[in-house]
Amino acid sequence: MTDRSRFGVFAVTFAAVYAAIYYVALANNWPLFSYGPAVGEWTLFNHPASDGPTMYWYGWIATSIIAAGLAGLIAAFLPGKLGARLWPGFAWLVPSCAMAAIVYLLSGYFTR
Amino acid sequence: MWIALVITHGLLAFLLLGAITHQVVSVWAPARAKAGNFIARFRAVDSANYVNAIIVLYLATATLGSVIYTDYRITARLTLEQGHFWKSFGVFELKEHFIAIGLALLPAYWYFWRASSDDDAATRKLLTTLLAFIVWWAFLAGHIVNNIRGLGT
Repeated sequence: MTDRSRFGVFAVTFAAVYAAIYYVALANNWPLFSYGPAVGEWTLFNHPASDGPTMYWYGWIATSIIAAGLAGLIAAFLPGKLGARLWPGFAWLVPSCAMAAIVYLLSGYFTR
Repeated sequence: MWIALVITHGLLAFLLLGAITHQVVSVWAPARAKAGNFIARFRAVDSANYVNAIIVLYLATATLGSVIYTDYRITARLTLEQGHFWKSFGVFELKEHFIAIGLALLPAYWYFWRASSDDDAATRKLLTTLLAFIVWWAFLAGHIVNNIRGLGT
């Protein structure tokens, strides 16, 4: 394990926290905002559009970026070398697990 | 206009697919001798040179896809639902989530290719592989859904 720059710590933390938060936001439908494409309507948080379907995908991404950005900054500026000891494998392991969990969450589409 | 956007999205995705495939093959099976045949030359590319292009192409393709997605949501998706194409529907749902997670990998992917120390070789290899899997999944899912119900057809 080598010492990492602050950006390296940020990048590993960002990837791991983003993936975990994205899964949680998707499973619980916690978008930062919602969009109604039929009426061009943007609303804060989980709010159905006044007409037509509602899209939450952009909102889930926004939720994840903010949470992961904050977590990444905190990890990058931890005192001493705490952040630098972070296992770099979290950058691919947590996203892989999140993807597997999403496949399980949506498995109903493949068993109908 | 949507047709032009879908074609541009497809072309960008095609470039991205080529770049990431070159890179993932070269990290898993690097050419050890002078490249002779087509396969050996395919493996012999300098992978590090692809990093910035892959990141730019990923962001451009995902951004364009996110614009097209609004039209998909009110047109093509209804066709999939009404036609009970549930497996194709699910494959496309997974695509949107995988692409979103792929965005999170980009800073780490860039960092570990830039660092290029031997200690990080495994991380670099697995991040590249995961990104390649996401790009291949997204490309094939988009292709399948476009074959079922192309935008504007």
